Amino acid sequence: MSTKKSFLPLIETVTPDDQTAASDAIRQAYESDTPVYPLGGLTNIRIGGTAKRPGIGLSTANLDRLIDHAARDLTITVEAGMTVAKLAKHLTHERQRLPIDVPSPESATVGGVVSANICGPRRYQYGTIKDYVIGVSAVNGLGQTLSGGGRVVKNAAGYDMCRLLTGSLGSLGLITQVTLMVRPLPEASAMVVGNFPDYETAEKLLRELGHSSAFPTAIEWLSGPAWDNNPILGKCPSSSVGRLVIGFEGPRAEVDWMVEQLEGQWRLAPDVAAKTVPEAEVGSMWNCLTDCVDQTLLNVKISTLPSRTVEIVESIRTDNPDCSIQSHAGNGITRVQMATDPDDITDILNQKLRPVVSSVSGHLSVISVPNGVDLSASDAWGAIGGGATVMQAIKDRFDPKRLLNPDRFVYGI
Amino acid sequence: MIQLLDSKLVRELRSLLGSNWVLTDPSDLVVYECDGFTIEKNMPSGVVFPTTVDEVSEIVKLCNRYDVPVVPRGAGTSLAGGCLPKTGGLVLMLTRMKKVIDINLRDRLAVVEAGTPNVQLVHALAGSGYHFAPDPSSQGASTIGGNVATNAGGPHTLKYGVTVNHVLGLEVVLGDGSIVRITPEDDLPGLDLVGVLVGSEGTLGIITKVWVRLTPNPREFRTIRVVFDTLDDATVAISDIIGEGIVPAAMELMDQGIVAAVEEAYNFGFPLDAEAIVVIEIDGPSVDLDRQQRRIVKLCEKRNAREVLQATTAEDRVKLWKCRKMAVGAVGRLSPSYCIQDGVVPRTKLPHILRRITEIGKKFDIRIVNVAHAGDGNVHPILLFDERDKEQVKKVLAAGHELLQECIDCHGSVTAEHGIGIEKLDFMEKLFRKSDLAAMHNVKESFNPTGHLNPGKLLPERATP
Repeated sequence: MSTKKSFLPLIETVTPDDQTAASDAIRQAYESDTPVYPLGGLTNIRIGGTAKRPGIGLSTANLDRLIDHAARDLTITVEAGMTVAKLAKHLTHERQRLPIDVPSPESATVGGVVSANICGPRRYQYGTIKDYVIGVSAVNGLGQTLSGGGRVVKNAAGYDMCRLLTGSLGSLGLITQVTLMVRPLPEASAMVVGNFPDYETAEKLLRELGHSSAFPTAIEWLSGPAWDNNPILGKCPSSSVGRLVIGFEGPRAEVDWMVEQLEGQWRLAPDVAAKTVPEAEVGSMWNCLTDCVDQTLLNVKISTLPSRTVEIVESIRTDNPDCSIQSHAGNGITRVQMATDPDDITDILNQKLRPVVSSVSGHLSVISVPNGVDLSASDAWGAIGGGATVMQAIKDRFDPKRLLNPDRFVYGI
Repeated sequence: MIQLLDSKLVRELRSLLGSNWVLTDPSDLVVYECDGFTIEKNMPSGVVFPTTVDEVSEIVKLCNRYDVPVVPRGAGTSLAGGCLPKTGGLVLMLTRMKKVIDINLRDRLAVVEAGTPNVQLVHALAGSGYHFAPDPSSQGASTIGGNVATNAGGPHTLKYGVTVNHVLGLEVVLGDGSIVRITPEDDLPGLDLVGVLVGSEGTLGIITKVWVRLTPNPREFRTIRVVFDTLDDATVAISDIIGEGIVPAAMELMDQGIVAAVEEAYNFGFPLDAEAIVVIEIDGPSVDLDRQQRRIVKLCEKRNAREVLQATTAEDRVKLWKCRKMAVGAVGRLSPSYCIQDGVVPRTKLPHILRRITEIGKKFDIRIVNVAHAGDGNVHPILLFDERDKEQVKKVLAAGHELLQECIDCHGSVTAEHGIGIEKLDFMEKLFRKSDLAAMHNVKESFNPTGHLNPGKLLPERATP
């Protein structure tokens, strides 16, 4: 924990017991022009630009209470510092879950997940955390409290402050409480793995999945050293351009039928060598697919339209054969992991990777850099598309002194 | 009383759009004096019909220069006065911008101009294997831009979500006339401006183009219609179904009052003494649907369902849905005027809110019939009256007010899908604290600093410190 926190220039850390105390702490910081760094589970502390200005860490560790679990309404309200694991425990008790894949759930907090817009392979079927936040409370950069949404799953009253704060990386306010929509636990979960012998087959299979009778929960393209010898998937053939892991969840009969449909389809392409992941290992494989970021390496996320996935994976792998790739291919989200010389990172991002990504009308942002690497917000996030001026205007009103997580998010790019 | 536009502005608008597309004659303007919320009316100063985003941008810039409010409007089906030109000004019609620009099945998206009617997109996707999931009851007329502006819902939101879950990107003209395009790739860095713009009721920007998510058509459906003797049995059964971990595609409730109207109009053979009829639909691969249907039927029977009718063919399905889809149309038989309210409560509070609505109807001596997207806890009490009777109008407003307050008291909200518009402005201070509304004003001023876009909607005036 102290190593992770040392990534931030903290003078001290305060741990308020409730929203009022959090509000007081931020107000005092506002009056003394002191930066404030929200601290959840520190699992995504390296997202964004490198923080330079010494300030106080504001930990949500004591804001971890269950406020209300309306199980029959499929909603739950928790304080933002509750860990994802603890949330899952509450929900599992009622055979429910938040279907968002979160790495390091024992440490990651609900507020952190919302703030950093964390999600993983199940996004293909279930969407992202934005689709599940129905109510939020926060404290802005002046120490003022604000709330949005409510406790109901449909709500058209006012502006969607939940969506404004989700993914804002704590730059508009410290999230203190969240109301989430949840889902029933699925009866069954299964995975089918296939080999991509070449990029043409990759595009063919991905295209076919869109029209398949089987509705996947996840479409994961895995390629490179991090995946080549996965203990569950086995060794990847050396000539392969990667493996496709398709996850299915739902009623048992439905899942079995979809697995059968997909295997039948892939049997027609013999080089695909489809096989199912043993049932006992499916849970572990979901964890593998979720918790796969080696933070000692450079990790980036590339956003494209799904149809450009094969192009971008081929380009990146050809130019960087030692990199590893995990693509949520149905969503056009491709994560790339590579070992780099720390001194070369900025050039790699801006001279090598970003031009290739731009050529497929995509966007690249950095998930994490190795320890000791300083990154500007501009290098971390790249060019901001539509609405940069409005984002700036919102930031000016919610945090006029730019004290919340300064230099880390997109403002000023 | 119409506030006349500056003649120079009119000349500039005619030069931009052509004289035919600038209306200033009162006999033309009267069409736009209200929308689906007919209780309040006000004449605009003019109506304009652009065809491109550049024209929309220029109009907004002109309105800034001449200090004229701009009220964007699609089909005008808003039930909350979202298109009412409350302070006069220019109504900016999007209806000439109605092209389906692209359908991209590989990426599961379509690109449409904002004035495209929802049903036009339905037809454009017919046979493709995909659909645009939001299906508000107004979809025969309402535009995609209007659906986005109000975050429209419909019967299938229980499984498929509301409009914001199906919008990938937007092109929008902001309050200063600048054009912003947010493209449809996932996880672009920065704030979720699309998420904030959806449901903003034309107060943050004028939507001109939408990238919508396409959803694969379900392979099969199972649709049942269940008759319950009591409303309590119906609503508890609905809660039981969700409690069992089943999430149907739709669960729609009609009460005895509306069933009577439907029966009189269309002779479906409904029993008139039953308090509730519920249409439940599940969808997906056929392999498990029968089992799920059996579970649902069992849960309904556990709650004393009198009759369960199951669709066995696609034609049967259409018939079962007909009674729900035509329900509001039948209301005209019951009274000369009606007001469809929109409230939402946690679904476990459905029995309570429906009982309270009955009590409120009796209290104000106003007949109220109900349809509900029951799976979401979203009730649509339909208050029946004669708008020529001023006393009845007062009672309808008071009854509506009380039932919406009850929704708040149940930890719900005063609107699930129609929006705040002008109708529910007073409730914003009941739903939110001053600091919450101040934060929303901060958002509004970031998009629309001069306040010319759709003034007087969604947010009450900023409180003075």
